[in-house]
Amino acid sequence: MAIHLGCGRADEDTLGSLTLFCGSASKPAMEEISARFERETGIEVNTIFGGSGTLLSQIELSQQGEVYLPGSPDYIIIANRKKLLVENSERIVAYLVPAIITPVGNPAGVRSLSDLARPGVRVGLGNPETVCLGLYAVELLEANDLLEKVMRNVVTFGGSCSKTANLAAMSQLDAILGWRVFHFWNPDRMAYVPIAPEKIPRISYIPISIPIHTKDLELSRSFIEFVLSPAGRSVYEDLGYITDLEAAKKLAPRATVGGEYTLPQEYFDLLEGLREQR
Amino acid sequence: MNRSFHILVGGVSALLIALFLVLLIGMLLELWQQTSLRAPHFSEIVFAARLSLITATLASAIALAVSIPVAYAFSRYSFPGKDLFDTLLDLPIVLSPIAIGALLLIFFNTALGRQLEHWFGPFVFEVRGIVLAQFVVVVGLSLRLLKETFQAIDVEYENLARSLGYNQMQVFARVVLPMARRGLIAAFLLTWGRAIGEFGATVTLAGATTMKTETIPVAIFLNFESVDISSAIVFITILITMSFAILLFVRKTEAYVR
Repeated sequence: MAIHLGCGRADEDTLGSLTLFCGSASKPAMEEISARFERETGIEVNTIFGGSGTLLSQIELSQQGEVYLPGSPDYIIIANRKKLLVENSERIVAYLVPAIITPVGNPAGVRSLSDLARPGVRVGLGNPETVCLGLYAVELLEANDLLEKVMRNVVTFGGSCSKTANLAAMSQLDAILGWRVFHFWNPDRMAYVPIAPEKIPRISYIPISIPIHTKDLELSRSFIEFVLSPAGRSVYEDLGYITDLEAAKKLAPRATVGGEYTLPQEYFDLLEGLREQR
Repeated sequence: MNRSFHILVGGVSALLIALFLVLLIGMLLELWQQTSLRAPHFSEIVFAARLSLITATLASAIALAVSIPVAYAFSRYSFPGKDLFDTLLDLPIVLSPIAIGALLLIFFNTALGRQLEHWFGPFVFEVRGIVLAQFVVVVGLSLRLLKETFQAIDVEYENLARSLGYNQMQVFARVVLPMARRGLIAAFLLTWGRAIGEFGATVTLAGATTMKTETIPVAIFLNFESVDISSAIVFITILITMSFAILLFVRKTEAYVR
Protein backbone atom coordinates (compact mmCIF):
# COMPACT_ATOMS: atom_id res chain seq x y z
CA MET A 1 0.00 0.00 0.00
CA ALA A 2 1.43 3.33 -1.00
CA ILE A 3 0.33 6.89 -0.54
CA HIS A 4 1.59 9.04 -3.39
CA LEU A 5 2.02 12.73 -2.69
CA GLY A 6 2.55 13.40 -6.36
CA CYS A 7 0.75 11.38 -8.97
CA GLY A 8 0.97 11.84 -12.69
CA ARG A 9 -0.86 14.90 -13.93
CA ALA A 10 -4.25 13.84 -15.23
CA ASP A 11 -3.95 15.47 -18.64
CA GLU A 12 -0.55 13.91 -19.23
CA ASP A 13 -1.85 10.37 -18.74
CA THR A 14 -3.61 10.16 -22.07
CA LEU A 15 -4.00 6.38 -22.08
CA GLY A 16 -3.50 5.01 -18.59
CA SER A 17 -6.37 6.44 -16.59
CA LEU A 18 -9.76 8.06 -16.58
CA THR A 19 -11.51 10.20 -13.98
CA LEU A 20 -15.06 9.29 -13.02
CA PHE A 21 -17.18 11.78 -11.06
CA CYS A 22 -19.66 9.50 -9.33
CA GLY A 23 -22.68 10.30 -7.13
CA SER A 24 -21.89 8.72 -3.78
CA ALA A 25 -25.07 6.63 -3.73
CA SER A 26 -23.62 4.59 -6.62
CA LYS A 27 -20.35 3.96 -4.75
CA PRO A 28 -20.85 0.21 -4.06
CA ALA A 29 -21.81 -0.52 -7.67
CA MET A 30 -19.22 1.67 -9.36
CA GLU A 31 -16.35 0.44 -7.19
CA GLU A 32 -17.10 -3.08 -8.37
CA ILE A 33 -17.60 -2.07 -12.03
CA SER A 34 -14.46 0.09 -12.05
CA ALA A 35 -12.40 -2.76 -10.58
CA ARG A 36 -13.65 -5.09 -13.35
CA PHE A 37 -12.94 -2.43 -16.00
CA GLU A 38 -9.40 -2.00 -14.65
CA ARG A 39 -8.81 -5.77 -14.68
CA GLU A 40 -10.06 -6.14 -18.25
CA THR A 41 -8.46 -3.07 -19.85
CA GLY A 42 -5.55 -2.14 -17.58
CA ILE A 43 -6.88 1.42 -17.53
CA GLU A 44 -6.95 2.94 -14.05
CA VAL A 45 -10.25 4.50 -12.95
CA ASN A 46 -9.87 7.43 -10.54
CA THR A 47 -13.29 7.79 -9.00
CA ILE A 48 -14.22 10.95 -7.16
CA PHE A 49 -17.33 10.46 -5.03
CA GLY A 50 -19.62 13.13 -3.69
CA GLY A 51 -22.99 14.79 -3.94
CA SER A 52 -24.07 15.14 -7.58
CA GLY A 53 -24.15 18.96 -7.44
CA THR A 54 -20.76 19.21 -5.72
CA LEU A 55 -19.27 16.94 -8.38
CA LEU A 56 -20.68 19.15 -11.12
CA SER A 57 -19.03 22.20 -9.50
CA GLN A 58 -15.76 20.25 -9.34
CA ILE A 59 -16.05 19.32 -13.04
CA GLU A 60 -16.69 22.96 -13.94
CA LEU A 61 -13.85 24.35 -11.84
CA SER A 62 -11.23 21.68 -12.45
CA GLN A 63 -12.10 21.23 -16.14
CA GLN A 64 -11.39 17.54 -15.73
CA GLY A 65 -13.32 14.30 -15.98
CA GLU A 66 -14.06 11.59 -18.52
CA VAL A 67 -17.37 10.37 -17.09
CA TYR A 68 -20.09 11.94 -14.92
CA LEU A 69 -22.58 9.70 -13.11
CA PRO A 70 -24.95 11.75 -10.93
CA GLY A 71 -27.75 10.32 -8.81
CA SER A 72 -30.59 11.69 -10.91
CA PRO A 73 -31.34 13.30 -14.30
CA ASP A 74 -31.91 16.84 -12.97
CA TYR A 75 -28.14 17.30 -12.69
CA ILE A 76 -27.81 16.37 -16.36
CA ILE A 77 -30.30 19.16 -17.15
CA ILE A 78 -28.21 21.63 -15.11
CA ALA A 79 -24.97 20.38 -16.69
CA ASN A 80 -26.40 20.66 -20.19
CA ARG A 81 -27.61 24.19 -19.44
CA LYS A 82 -24.05 25.05 -18.42
CA LYS A 83 -22.68 23.27 -21.52
CA LEU A 84 -20.54 20.98 -19.36
CA LEU A 85 -21.44 17.73 -21.14
CA VAL A 86 -20.80 16.32 -24.59
CA GLU A 87 -24.04 16.75 -26.53
CA ASN A 88 -26.34 13.69 -26.57
CA SER A 89 -23.91 11.62 -24.51
CA GLU A 90 -26.48 10.85 -21.80
CA ARG A 91 -27.41 7.16 -21.25
CA ILE A 92 -29.49 5.42 -18.58
CA VAL A 93 -27.79 3.11 -16.08
CA ALA A 94 -30.72 2.15 -13.84
CA TYR A 95 -34.32 3.12 -13.13
CA LEU A 96 -35.51 4.52 -9.80
CA VAL A 97 -39.03 3.61 -8.69
CA PRO A 98 -40.66 5.51 -5.80
CA ALA A 99 -41.47 3.51 -2.66
CA ILE A 100 -42.26 4.08 0.99
CA ILE A 101 -39.15 3.39 3.04
CA THR A 102 -39.47 2.71 6.77
CA PRO A 103 -37.03 1.82 9.52
CA VAL A 104 -36.57 -1.95 9.66
CA GLY A 105 -39.62 -3.65 11.19
CA ASN A 106 -41.87 -0.77 10.08
CA PRO A 107 -42.73 0.23 13.68
CA ALA A 108 -45.51 2.64 12.65
CA GLY A 109 -47.21 -0.05 10.54
CA VAL A 110 -47.26 1.98 7.32
CA ARG A 111 -48.84 -0.21 4.63
CA SER A 112 -49.85 2.23 1.88
CA LEU A 113 -49.50 5.76 0.59
CA SER A 114 -52.65 6.84 2.46
CA ASP A 115 -51.13 5.61 5.74
CA LEU A 116 -48.64 8.48 5.45
CA ALA A 117 -51.57 10.82 6.07
CA ARG A 118 -52.55 9.07 9.33
CA PRO A 119 -52.36 11.45 12.30
CA GLY A 120 -49.13 11.08 14.23
CA VAL A 121 -47.10 9.39 11.46
CA ARG A 122 -43.77 11.19 11.14
CA VAL A 123 -42.83 11.52 7.47
CA GLY A 124 -39.69 12.72 5.68
CA LEU A 125 -39.24 13.81 2.07
CA GLY A 126 -36.27 14.89 -0.01
CA ASN A 127 -36.30 18.69 -0.15
CA PRO A 128 -38.54 19.30 -3.20
CA GLU A 129 -36.75 22.55 -4.01
CA THR A 130 -33.25 21.02 -4.10
CA VAL A 131 -33.50 17.23 -4.45
CA CYS A 132 -35.31 15.58 -7.36
CA LEU A 133 -36.46 12.80 -5.02
CA GLY A 134 -38.54 15.46 -3.24
CA LEU A 135 -40.04 16.66 -6.52
CA TYR A 136 -41.11 13.12 -7.41
CA ALA A 137 -42.64 12.71 -3.93
CA VAL A 138 -44.69 15.91 -4.23
CA GLU A 139 -45.90 14.90 -7.70
CA LEU A 140 -46.81 11.43 -6.39
CA LEU A 141 -48.78 12.88 -3.48
CA GLU A 142 -50.46 15.50 -5.65
CA ALA A 143 -51.50 12.88 -8.24
CA ASN A 144 -53.11 10.83 -5.46
CA ASP A 145 -54.85 13.78 -3.71
CA LEU A 146 -52.72 13.29 -0.62
CA LEU A 147 -50.45 16.32 -0.79
CA GLU A 148 -52.19 18.42 1.85
CA LYS A 149 -52.82 15.54 4.29
CA VAL A 150 -49.28 14.11 4.09
CA MET A 151 -47.58 17.52 4.19
CA ARG A 152 -49.11 17.97 7.65
CA ASN A 153 -47.10 14.93 8.78
CA VAL A 154 -43.82 15.95 7.13
CA VAL A 155 -41.37 16.77 9.92
CA THR A 156 -38.22 17.24 7.87
CA PHE A 157 -36.68 17.38 4.40
CA GLY A 158 -33.50 15.48 3.49
CA GLY A 159 -30.78 17.47 1.69
CA SER A 160 -29.90 14.64 -0.72
CA CYS A 161 -31.08 11.12 -1.60
CA SER A 162 -28.58 9.60 0.83
CA LYS A 163 -29.46 12.01 3.62
CA THR A 164 -33.16 11.25 3.12
CA ALA A 165 -32.43 7.50 3.23
CA ASN A 166 -30.39 8.01 6.40
CA LEU A 167 -33.47 9.53 8.10
CA ALA A 168 -35.13 6.10 7.83
CA ALA A 169 -31.94 4.11 8.42
CA MET A 170 -31.27 6.01 11.66
CA SER A 171 -34.94 5.51 12.74
CA GLN A 172 -35.47 9.27 12.95
CA LEU A 173 -38.90 9.00 11.31
CA ASP A 174 -41.71 6.51 10.70
CA ALA A 175 -41.42 6.66 6.91
CA ILE A 176 -39.88 8.52 4.02
CA LEU A 177 -40.86 8.73 0.39
CA GLY A 178 -37.76 7.41 -1.30
CA TRP A 179 -36.59 5.08 -4.04
CA ARG A 180 -37.29 1.36 -3.81
CA VAL A 181 -33.54 0.70 -3.99
CA PHE A 182 -32.90 2.49 -0.65
CA HIS A 183 -33.98 -0.70 1.11
CA PHE A 184 -31.28 -2.69 -0.69
CA TRP A 185 -28.60 -0.19 0.32
CA ASN A 186 -28.97 -1.32 3.92
CA PRO A 187 -31.64 -4.03 4.42
CA ASP A 188 -30.64 -4.44 8.06
CA ARG A 189 -31.91 -0.96 8.79
CA MET A 190 -34.57 -0.18 6.17
CA ALA A 191 -37.72 -1.87 4.92
CA TYR A 192 -39.77 -0.85 1.91
CA VAL A 193 -43.48 -0.74 1.29
CA PRO A 194 -44.35 -0.89 -2.42
CA ILE A 195 -46.68 1.77 -3.76
CA ALA A 196 -49.62 0.49 -5.84
CA PRO A 197 -48.25 0.50 -9.43
CA GLU A 198 -51.11 2.52 -10.93
CA LYS A 199 -50.53 5.31 -8.40
CA ILE A 200 -47.00 6.14 -9.57
CA PRO A 201 -47.04 8.99 -12.13
CA ARG A 202 -43.29 9.17 -12.84
CA ILE A 203 -40.10 7.17 -12.35
CA SER A 204 -36.57 8.49 -12.39
CA TYR A 205 -33.24 7.05 -13.45
CA ILE A 206 -29.51 7.18 -12.86
CA PRO A 207 -27.89 8.77 -15.90
CA ILE A 208 -24.31 8.62 -17.11
CA SER A 209 -22.70 11.17 -19.40
CA ILE A 210 -19.44 12.60 -20.73
CA PRO A 211 -18.01 15.90 -19.47
CA ILE A 212 -17.00 18.34 -22.20
CA HIS A 213 -13.43 18.44 -20.83
CA THR A 214 -12.79 14.72 -21.37
CA LYS A 215 -9.24 14.08 -22.53
CA ASP A 216 -10.29 11.00 -24.48
CA LEU A 217 -13.81 10.83 -25.88
CA GLU A 218 -13.42 7.22 -27.06
CA LEU A 219 -12.20 6.14 -23.63
CA SER A 220 -15.24 7.85 -22.04
CA ARG A 221 -17.55 6.06 -24.47
CA SER A 222 -15.94 2.66 -23.94
CA PHE A 223 -16.22 3.03 -20.15
CA ILE A 224 -19.92 3.92 -20.46
CA GLU A 225 -20.47 0.91 -22.75
CA PHE A 226 -18.80 -1.26 -20.12
CA VAL A 227 -21.11 0.11 -17.40
CA LEU A 228 -24.13 -0.59 -19.63
CA SER A 229 -22.89 -4.06 -20.67
CA PRO A 230 -24.50 -7.17 -19.13
CA ALA A 231 -21.54 -7.40 -16.73
CA GLY A 232 -22.02 -3.80 -15.55
CA ARG A 233 -25.78 -4.08 -15.31
CA SER A 234 -25.52 -7.30 -13.30
CA VAL A 235 -23.51 -5.46 -10.64
CA TYR A 236 -26.28 -2.88 -10.32
CA GLU A 237 -28.96 -5.60 -10.31
CA ASP A 238 -27.18 -7.54 -7.57
CA LEU A 239 -27.44 -4.38 -5.46
CA GLY A 240 -31.21 -4.14 -5.97
CA TYR A 241 -31.34 -1.70 -8.90
CA ILE A 242 -33.62 -2.14 -11.90
CA THR A 243 -31.68 -1.73 -15.14
CA ASP A 244 -34.40 -2.87 -17.54
CA LEU A 245 -37.17 -0.46 -18.55
CA GLU A 246 -39.73 -3.25 -18.91
CA ALA A 247 -39.04 -4.46 -15.38
CA ALA A 248 -39.41 -0.89 -14.08
CA LYS A 249 -42.64 -0.45 -16.02
CA LYS A 250 -44.12 -3.52 -14.28
CA LEU A 251 -43.80 -1.61 -11.00
CA ALA A 252 -45.20 1.60 -12.49
CA PRO A 253 -47.06 0.90 -15.76
CA ARG A 254 -48.56 4.38 -16.13
CA ALA A 255 -45.42 6.27 -15.22
CA THR A 256 -43.45 8.52 -17.50
CA VAL A 257 -39.66 8.24 -17.33
CA GLY A 258 -37.71 11.30 -16.22
CA GLY A 259 -38.73 14.66 -17.61
CA GLU A 260 -39.40 17.82 -15.67
CA TYR A 261 -42.02 18.55 -13.05
CA THR A 262 -42.69 22.02 -11.66
CA LEU A 263 -43.78 22.35 -8.06
CA PRO A 264 -47.43 23.48 -7.96
CA GLN A 265 -48.43 26.71 -6.24
CA GLU A 266 -50.51 24.52 -3.88
CA TYR A 267 -47.27 23.15 -2.42
CA PHE A 268 -45.94 26.62 -1.54
CA ASP A 269 -49.33 27.67 -0.14
CA LEU A 270 -49.34 24.54 2.02
CA LEU A 271 -45.84 25.26 3.29
CA GLU A 272 -46.83 28.83 4.13
CA GLY A 273 -50.00 27.67 5.90
CA LEU A 274 -48.12 25.04 7.92
CA ARG A 275 -45.47 27.59 8.89
CA GLU A 276 -48.15 29.94 10.21
CA GLN A 277 -49.84 27.12 12.14
CA ARG A 278 -46.55 26.24 13.82
CA MET B 1 -24.02 30.09 49.98
CA ASN B 2 -20.65 28.43 49.34
CA ARG B 3 -22.36 25.06 49.20
CA SER B 4 -24.85 26.32 46.59
CA PHE B 5 -22.00 27.71 44.50
CA HIS B 6 -20.13 24.40 44.61
CA ILE B 7 -23.28 22.50 43.67
CA LEU B 8 -23.90 24.89 40.73
CA VAL B 9 -20.35 24.68 39.40
CA GLY B 10 -20.07 20.94 39.94
CA GLY B 11 -23.56 20.26 38.55
CA VAL B 12 -23.01 22.15 35.29
CA SER B 13 -19.60 20.46 34.86
CA ALA B 14 -21.12 17.04 35.47
CA LEU B 15 -23.91 17.74 32.97
CA LEU B 16 -21.45 18.80 30.28
CA ILE B 17 -19.25 15.75 30.84
CA ALA B 18 -22.38 13.58 30.82
CA LEU B 19 -23.45 15.09 27.48
CA PHE B 20 -20.24 13.98 25.77
CA LEU B 21 -20.27 10.59 27.47
CA VAL B 22 -23.88 10.04 26.38
CA LEU B 23 -22.91 10.89 22.79
CA LEU B 24 -20.11 8.33 22.86
CA ILE B 25 -22.20 5.67 24.57
CA GLY B 26 -25.06 6.27 22.10
CA MET B 27 -22.69 5.66 19.21
CA LEU B 28 -21.34 2.45 20.73
CA LEU B 29 -24.89 1.22 21.44
CA GLU B 30 -25.80 1.92 17.82
CA LEU B 31 -22.85 -0.20 16.71
CA TRP B 32 -23.81 -2.94 19.18
CA GLN B 33 -27.39 -3.08 17.85
CA GLN B 34 -26.30 -3.74 14.27
CA THR B 35 -27.74 -7.13 13.38
CA SER B 36 -24.98 -7.83 10.89
CA LEU B 37 -21.88 -5.73 11.24
CA ARG B 38 -20.69 -4.33 7.92
CA ALA B 39 -17.15 -3.32 8.73
CA PRO B 40 -14.89 -1.64 6.20
CA HIS B 41 -11.94 -3.63 4.85
CA PHE B 42 -8.96 -3.59 7.19
CA SER B 43 -6.76 -2.30 4.36
CA GLU B 44 -9.15 0.66 3.89
CA ILE B 45 -9.02 1.50 7.60
CA VAL B 46 -5.20 1.33 7.62
CA PHE B 47 -4.99 3.42 4.44
CA ALA B 48 -7.32 6.14 5.76
CA ALA B 49 -5.61 6.28 9.17
CA ARG B 50 -2.15 6.39 7.58
CA LEU B 51 -3.12 9.04 5.03
CA SER B 52 -4.72 11.16 7.76
CA LEU B 53 -1.61 10.85 9.96
CA ILE B 54 0.81 11.72 7.14
CA THR B 55 -1.16 14.64 5.70
CA ALA B 56 -2.07 16.15 9.07
CA THR B 57 1.56 15.92 10.24
CA LEU B 58 2.88 17.52 7.05
CA ALA B 59 0.22 20.25 7.00
CA SER B 60 0.70 21.21 10.65
CA ALA B 61 4.52 21.08 10.39
CA ILE B 62 4.44 23.41 7.36
CA ALA B 63 1.88 25.63 9.11
CA LEU B 64 4.14 25.88 12.15
CA ALA B 65 7.26 26.58 10.05
CA VAL B 66 5.44 29.39 8.23
CA SER B 67 3.73 30.73 11.34
CA ILE B 68 6.90 31.15 13.43
CA PRO B 69 8.41 34.06 11.44
CA VAL B 70 5.02 35.59 10.58
CA ALA B 71 3.73 35.45 14.15
CA TYR B 72 7.01 36.90 15.42
CA ALA B 73 6.81 39.76 12.92
CA PHE B 74 3.24 40.57 13.90
CA SER B 75 4.02 40.39 17.61
CA ARG B 76 7.13 42.58 17.48
CA TYR B 77 6.94 45.03 14.59
CA SER B 78 4.63 47.87 13.64
CA PHE B 79 3.99 48.60 9.97
CA PRO B 80 1.32 50.29 7.86
CA GLY B 81 -1.82 48.18 7.43
CA LYS B 82 -0.81 45.77 10.20
CA ASP B 83 -4.36 45.43 11.58
CA LEU B 84 -5.71 44.81 8.11
CA PHE B 85 -3.15 42.08 7.33
CA ASP B 86 -3.55 40.58 10.79
CA THR B 87 -7.30 40.30 10.20
CA LEU B 88 -6.70 38.83 6.74
CA LEU B 89 -4.52 36.11 8.26
CA ASP B 90 -7.20 35.38 10.86
CA LEU B 91 -9.76 34.67 8.12
CA PRO B 92 -9.09 30.90 7.87
CA ILE B 93 -10.17 30.55 11.52
CA VAL B 94 -13.66 31.87 10.80
CA LEU B 95 -14.11 30.88 7.15
CA SER B 96 -16.07 27.72 6.52
CA PRO B 97 -13.63 25.00 5.30
CA ILE B 98 -15.82 24.34 2.25
CA ALA B 99 -15.37 28.01 1.29
CA ILE B 100 -11.60 27.60 1.61
CA GLY B 101 -11.75 24.47 -0.56
CA ALA B 102 -13.79 26.31 -3.19
CA LEU B 103 -11.31 29.24 -3.15
CA LEU B 104 -8.44 26.82 -3.72
CA LEU B 105 -10.26 24.98 -6.51
CA ILE B 106 -11.06 28.28 -8.21
CA PHE B 107 -7.44 29.42 -7.79
CA PHE B 108 -6.09 26.31 -9.54
CA ASN B 109 -8.35 27.13 -12.47
CA THR B 110 -6.52 30.43 -13.00
CA ALA B 111 -3.39 30.91 -15.13
CA LEU B 112 -1.22 31.26 -12.01
CA GLY B 113 -2.75 28.17 -10.43
CA ARG B 114 -2.15 26.11 -13.57
CA GLN B 115 1.43 27.36 -13.74
CA LEU B 116 2.00 26.35 -10.10
CA GLU B 117 0.64 22.87 -10.88
CA HIS B 118 2.99 22.73 -13.85
CA TRP B 119 5.99 23.56 -11.64
CA PHE B 120 5.14 21.64 -8.47
CA GLY B 121 2.83 18.89 -9.77
CA PRO B 122 -0.93 18.54 -9.51
CA PHE B 123 -2.88 19.51 -6.39
CA VAL B 124 -6.46 19.16 -7.64
CA PHE B 125 -7.85 15.68 -6.80
CA GLU B 126 -4.44 14.58 -5.51
CA VAL B 127 -2.96 13.84 -2.08
CA ARG B 128 -0.93 17.07 -2.16
CA GLY B 129 -4.28 18.86 -2.40
CA ILE B 130 -5.17 17.39 1.00
CA VAL B 131 -1.98 18.77 2.55
CA LEU B 132 -2.57 22.18 0.97
CA ALA B 133 -6.23 22.30 2.03
CA GLN B 134 -5.38 21.28 5.60
CA PHE B 135 -2.52 23.79 5.69
CA VAL B 136 -4.74 26.71 4.65
CA VAL B 137 -7.41 25.70 7.16
CA VAL B 138 -5.03 25.35 10.14
CA VAL B 139 -2.45 28.06 9.49
CA GLY B 140 -4.70 30.78 10.94
CA LEU B 141 -5.01 28.84 14.19
CA SER B 142 -1.27 28.22 14.33
CA LEU B 143 -0.58 31.95 13.76
CA ARG B 144 -3.04 33.00 16.45
CA LEU B 145 -1.52 30.64 19.03
CA LEU B 146 2.07 31.65 18.23
CA LYS B 147 1.31 35.38 18.22
CA GLU B 148 0.01 35.01 21.77
CA THR B 149 3.07 32.97 22.71
CA PHE B 150 5.54 35.57 21.37
CA GLN B 151 3.55 38.47 22.86
CA ALA B 152 3.81 36.80 26.28
CA ILE B 153 7.63 36.86 26.10
CA ASP B 154 9.02 40.07 27.59
CA VAL B 155 11.04 42.03 24.99
CA GLU B 156 13.53 42.91 27.73
CA TYR B 157 15.04 39.41 27.45
CA GLU B 158 15.78 40.07 23.81
CA ASN B 159 17.20 43.54 24.53
CA LEU B 160 19.45 42.06 27.19
CA ALA B 161 20.71 39.38 24.80
CA ARG B 162 21.38 42.04 22.13
CA SER B 163 23.34 44.12 24.67
CA LEU B 164 25.48 41.04 25.40
CA GLY B 165 26.46 40.81 21.72
CA TYR B 166 23.91 38.44 20.14
CA ASN B 167 22.68 39.38 16.68
CA GLN B 168 18.95 39.29 15.84
CA MET B 169 19.09 35.73 14.50
CA GLN B 170 20.96 34.47 17.57
CA VAL B 171 18.49 36.22 19.87
CA PHE B 172 15.62 34.54 18.07
CA ALA B 173 17.21 31.08 18.00
CA ARG B 174 18.74 31.05 21.47
CA VAL B 175 16.37 33.20 23.52
CA VAL B 176 12.95 33.56 21.91
CA LEU B 177 12.44 30.02 20.56
CA PRO B 178 13.53 28.22 23.77
CA MET B 179 11.23 30.48 25.80
CA ALA B 180 8.38 29.77 23.35
CA ARG B 181 8.81 25.98 23.38
CA ARG B 182 5.59 25.31 25.30
CA GLY B 183 3.58 27.46 22.91
CA LEU B 184 5.27 25.86 19.90
CA ILE B 185 4.45 22.34 21.06
CA ALA B 186 0.87 23.26 21.94
CA ALA B 187 0.40 25.07 18.59
CA PHE B 188 1.73 22.09 16.65
CA LEU B 189 -0.41 19.55 18.46
CA LEU B 190 -3.61 21.61 18.32
CA THR B 191 -3.19 22.40 14.62
CA TRP B 192 -2.43 18.71 14.06
CA GLY B 193 -5.65 17.79 15.84
CA ARG B 194 -7.57 20.32 13.75
CA ALA B 195 -5.95 19.06 10.52
CA ILE B 196 -6.73 15.41 11.15
CA GLY B 197 -10.44 16.18 11.46
CA GLU B 198 -10.53 18.50 8.42
CA PHE B 199 -13.12 17.56 5.81
CA GLY B 200 -14.76 20.44 3.92
CA ALA B 201 -11.71 21.95 2.23
CA THR B 202 -10.12 18.54 1.65
CA VAL B 203 -13.12 17.01 -0.10
CA THR B 204 -13.60 20.10 -2.28
CA LEU B 205 -10.00 20.39 -3.49
CA ALA B 206 -8.75 16.80 -3.32
CA GLY B 207 -12.06 15.02 -3.90
CA ALA B 208 -13.27 11.85 -2.19
CA THR B 209 -11.50 9.00 -3.95
CA THR B 210 -11.46 5.65 -2.16
CA MET B 211 -7.93 4.48 -1.33
CA LYS B 212 -6.42 7.63 -2.83
CA THR B 213 -7.63 10.79 -1.09
CA GLU B 214 -9.65 8.91 1.54
CA THR B 215 -8.76 10.44 4.90
CA ILE B 216 -10.77 9.31 7.92
CA PRO B 217 -13.31 12.19 7.69
CA VAL B 218 -13.71 11.45 3.96
CA ALA B 219 -14.27 7.75 4.79
CA ILE B 220 -16.98 8.74 7.31
CA PHE B 221 -18.67 10.89 4.63
CA LEU B 222 -18.49 8.15 1.98
CA ASN B 223 -19.93 5.51 4.29
CA PHE B 224 -22.77 7.77 5.43
CA GLU B 225 -23.54 8.62 1.83
CA SER B 226 -23.71 4.88 1.06
CA VAL B 227 -25.99 4.45 4.12
CA ASP B 228 -23.38 2.10 5.59
CA ILE B 229 -23.77 3.32 9.13
CA SER B 230 -21.75 0.63 10.93
CA SER B 231 -18.70 1.32 8.75
CA ALA B 232 -19.13 5.06 9.35
CA ILE B 233 -19.21 4.41 13.10
CA VAL B 234 -16.01 2.35 12.89
CA PHE B 235 -14.25 5.35 11.26
CA ILE B 236 -15.82 7.80 13.75
CA THR B 237 -14.50 5.63 16.61
CA ILE B 238 -11.01 5.69 15.10
CA LEU B 239 -11.15 9.49 14.67
CA ILE B 240 -12.35 9.96 18.25
CA THR B 241 -9.62 7.66 19.60
CA MET B 242 -6.89 9.47 17.66
CA SER B 243 -8.23 12.92 18.65
CA PHE B 244 -8.58 11.90 22.29
CA ALA B 245 -5.04 10.55 22.31
CA ILE B 246 -3.61 13.75 20.82
CA LEU B 247 -5.51 16.01 23.25
CA LEU B 248 -4.36 13.91 26.19
CA PHE B 249 -0.82 14.07 24.84
CA VAL B 250 -1.07 17.91 24.65
CA ARG B 251 -2.06 18.05 28.30
CA LYS B 252 0.72 15.70 29.40
CA THR B 253 3.32 17.50 27.26
CA GLU B 254 2.29 20.90 28.60
CA ALA B 255 2.58 19.59 32.15
CA TYR B 256 6.00 18.05 31.38
CA VAL B 257 7.42 21.19 29.72
CA ARG B 258 6.08 23.36 32.53
